Amino acid sequence: MNNDILLEALIEDYVNGKLNAAEQLAFEELRRNNPQVDHRVVTHNVFLERLHQYKTVLDLRIKMDEVHQEIDVEAISAQVRPHPSRIVRIWRNNRSAITVAASFLILASAVLLSYYSQTRQEGNLQLLDRKVSQLNQSQNHIIRVMNSGAGKSSTPATPAKFGGTGFAVSANGYILTNYHVIKDADSLYIQNNKGDSYKVKKYYMDPINDIAILKVTDPSFLNLGALPYGVKKQSAEIGEEVYTLGYPKDDVVLGNGYVSSKTGINGDSVAYQIAVAVSPGNSGGPLLDNGGNIVGVINGKEMKADGAAFAVKPRYIIEALNAIPKDSLNKRLSYKKRNTLLGMKRDKQVAHIQDFVFMIKVYN
Amino acid sequence: MGVKLNHSVPTDREVILGILNHAEDVLHKLYVGYFPMILQFILNNNGDEDDAKDVYQEAIIILYDKVKQGNFELNSKLKTYLYAICRRIWLKRLAQSSRKTNNIADFEDVLAVDDDVDAYEEKDRQFEQMKNAMESLGEPCRTIIQDFYIHNLSMQEICDKFGYTNTDNAKTQKYKCLQRLKKIFFQS
Repeated sequence: MNNDILLEALIEDYVNGKLNAAEQLAFEELRRNNPQVDHRVVTHNVFLERLHQYKTVLDLRIKMDEVHQEIDVEAISAQVRPHPSRIVRIWRNNRSAITVAASFLILASAVLLSYYSQTRQEGNLQLLDRKVSQLNQSQNHIIRVMNSGAGKSSTPATPAKFGGTGFAVSANGYILTNYHVIKDADSLYIQNNKGDSYKVKKYYMDPINDIAILKVTDPSFLNLGALPYGVKKQSAEIGEEVYTLGYPKDDVVLGNGYVSSKTGINGDSVAYQIAVAVSPGNSGGPLLDNGGNIVGVINGKEMKADGAAFAVKPRYIIEALNAIPKDSLNKRLSYKKRNTLLGMKRDKQVAHIQDFVFMIKVYN
Repeated sequence: MGVKLNHSVPTDREVILGILNHAEDVLHKLYVGYFPMILQFILNNNGDEDDAKDVYQEAIIILYDKVKQGNFELNSKLKTYLYAICRRIWLKRLAQSSRKTNNIADFEDVLAVDDDVDAYEEKDRQFEQMKNAMESLGEPCRTIIQDFYIHNLSMQEICDKFGYTNTDNAKTQKYKCLQRLKKIFFQS
C-alpha cells in the first residue's frame, strides 16, 4: 500500500516533470523494465488529460453561465423571435430577396413607362419648307415673276422647287432663315412682298440649331434701312403672345398665337412650342412678341397635333449673328436698343416688318 | 437577413489572441457579442432560450478547444464559424428528437464544420464520463480530487482544510480517492 502510494507520487511527479535528472533517468529505466509501471504511467497520463479537459470545460461553463446571467435574454428574444404574423416572418426571412424583387419591378416599370412616354411623344416633326411645285402654286408665281421681274437679268426662268421664309438681320442684305430650308439648294433667291427677287448665297450655316444666314449678292439690292425689330436675349415665357410672318403662299401671311411649352419636340431644349397655325413655307419666319422683338425662328410643326409648332429660341439667333464679323453687318439686328415697334398696334407693326421678311426660293 | 442585431462585437483577432493568452474579458465580449445571432437562429427553428444557451455554449467550447490546440485557421469570419457550429449542433439535436428539420431558417452563410462538431461530440462524451465519475465518487473524495486537480490546491492546503494530522495522511487519502475515481472512470 505504501509502495503504491510512493509509486503514484513518483508517477505524478514524473508526469509533471518535477523529478531531477538522475531520478528521471532512474524512473525511465524502471518504466522500461517493468511493463506494469509503464502501463500505470500511460493510464495516469490519459486520466490526467481527461481530468484537465474536464476542468477546462467546467471552468468555461461556469464563466459562460456568469456572462449569461448578465444578458437580458428576454429582451433579445422579443426582438428576434419569430413574429406571430406570418407576413412579418416572411418579410424578415426574405427581406433581401423581396428588396431585390421590388427594385427590379420599379426599374422595369420605370423603363417601360419612359419607353411608352417616349414613343408617345415621338411626334413627327414636319419641317415647314414648302414644296412649291407640289402645292400647285407655281402658276401664280410665274405670273408674278413675269410681271414684276421683267427687267431683272437675275430672275430665274423656272419656278422654285422649295420655299421658305427669312428675315433681314442687317440693313445690307443678310437674311436669316432655317438651315433645313436651304441645305440642299443649288441656287437661292429671296423675294420680298412686292415680288422682287434677289440672288443670295449661303453665308453661315448651323445645322444643329437649324439656323442659316444668307447674303444678298445681287447688285440691284437696295439697302433696307434701319431694322424695325430687335432680338430679345431671353426666350419668351409660356403664355406670352407671339406672332409670325411667313410665306406659306406667295403673299405674306400673319400667324398669331402664344408660347405653349418651354421645350420643342421630344423635349428639345433648342426650340420651344408655340400655338400658332403654321403651314409649309413658314419655316425660317421670325417669331415676334407684342413689343416687336424677335423671340424665335419658326422651324417646324407637329404633324399629328394641331396647333403645335416649334420655334428656335432667340439665343441661337444671337449666336449665329455673333459668328458674322461685326463690320460686315450694316445696321445689324440689335438686342440692346428699344425697338421702334414698341407700343404700336399689331397692324402697324406688320406693315413695318413685312418689308424685312422675305420668301426664300430654293432651286436644285 | 433577419432583424439587425446591434451589439458591439470584438474583432476576430482580438478574440483569438484573447483565448490564447487566457484573457478574462474576451469571453465576456465574445459571448455577449454573438449570442443574439444564435438566439435568433434557435428561436426561429423550433428551439427555446435554453436550447440557445446550450448550443451556444457548446459552440464556444469548441472554439476555445480549437484555438488552444493551435489548429484554428481563421479562413472565415468568427461569426460565420460560430453560426455554422451552432447550426450543425442544432440540426443534430433536432434530428435526434425527431423534430421538424426541413426548412431551416438561416440568418448567415453556412460553413461546413461537421468534423469539428464530430470531434467535439467525442470530447463531450468524455466530459460527461468524467462528470458522472465525479458524481458517483462521493465525499470527501470528490472535494479532495477537485481541490487538488481542478482548483490546484497544494497537499498542505488540503491537509489543513480537511483537518488531517499530516500531509502523508492527506496523500494517502488522495491516493485512495484517485484510485477509486480512475476505477469508476475507466470502467464506465
